[in-house]
Amino acid sequence: MLITTDKIGVRITGPVVNLALAGIANSAVVFSIPILVGVLIGTKSAVIKKVTLFNNGAGNTQVIIGTGLGAALFVPLLPALDSLNGLMDPYGPNTDLPEVEAYADITAYPVALLAGTSIDIVLEILIRG
Amino acid sequence: MPDLYIFKAAIGMCDPIALQNHNVAIHYVQNTYWRRVDFLEAIPEFQCIDLGAVLANNQSGRVNVVNLEMADNEFGIFRWYPIEDVQILFNHPAGVSKYQLRNLQVPVDAAILFNDPNLVSTEIGVWEDNRPAMVAVNGHAFPMPASRVRALGYRFHTIDPLPISPEEKRAIAQVKAESPNNQRLKDDALMEIALQEGRLPVTHIWCSGRAMGD
Repeated sequence: MLITTDKIGVRITGPVVNLALAGIANSAVVFSIPILVGVLIGTKSAVIKKVTLFNNGAGNTQVIIGTGLGAALFVPLLPALDSLNGLMDPYGPNTDLPEVEAYADITAYPVALLAGTSIDIVLEILIRG
Repeated sequence: MPDLYIFKAAIGMCDPIALQNHNVAIHYVQNTYWRRVDFLEAIPEFQCIDLGAVLANNQSGRVNVVNLEMADNEFGIFRWYPIEDVQILFNHPAGVSKYQLRNLQVPVDAAILFNDPNLVSTEIGVWEDNRPAMVAVNGHAFPMPASRVRALGYRFHTIDPLPISPEEKRAIAQVKAESPNNQRLKDDALMEIALQEGRLPVTHIWCSGRAMGD
């Protein structure tokens, strides 16, 4: 119990998710909050520690990260993150990424994509609760 | 022999306050229960309640923390802290405020982890199902999506304090000899008298708050 300031949760990396469709209507789940109904009490939450984007020739664009799927439910957690054509874009403590906390599955979508291209995204998450 | 008392602040620890065959006096509001511990186990840290979402500059209703309640003849010792930036008002039982000063019921927030890393100041006892309850206060200008509280501690099962050691048998014989009116009392009642009169070691545990002026 001594000094839990650095021990408030467990860090885990989410899967690599390929975002092949642009626009808020095509937002997709990129990290699911663990749920085991009837066993876990209360809510688990997810703090975003790092984001890695890999741009598969999709042109210079942006990725929006939030919660909820579709225009009616999507709520952004962060401002748009730049994704540069053909490059990997890492966001984390060295880029002063705010450690926003999500209480529902984390979703994302690219603002625009060149035809037939995509962006890969991976999140490193701190699970709390 | 370990030191057996509440609110211990050894580094990094929440210690048991009684061990196997130790006598305890459980105080609950105005009642006292004289018992003997016959089983104990540690309760690892767990999420005992989520008081739910709280609107901006608002507070939740008072919710009984049923996951901190104990079975019959059992009491628990817990230390706890919230993990969201809310302030928790603790009541125990539900109608009696805990951590009560004359003009203020002191709330607990997540900063307790920095200022009291052992959580010793949050230590509470719970006797059977006697209704610990919490209220979450959100002082932020935005809604708090959850108000989760985590706790850890010990579980103690107790039995009637019948005399088992030579020291206890001697103490009871002495009570009998000194007071002929007690002759018809059974051993458990005489044991209570011996414990009340301080003839035998006992650990006192408060398992409730107390109303002002009570």
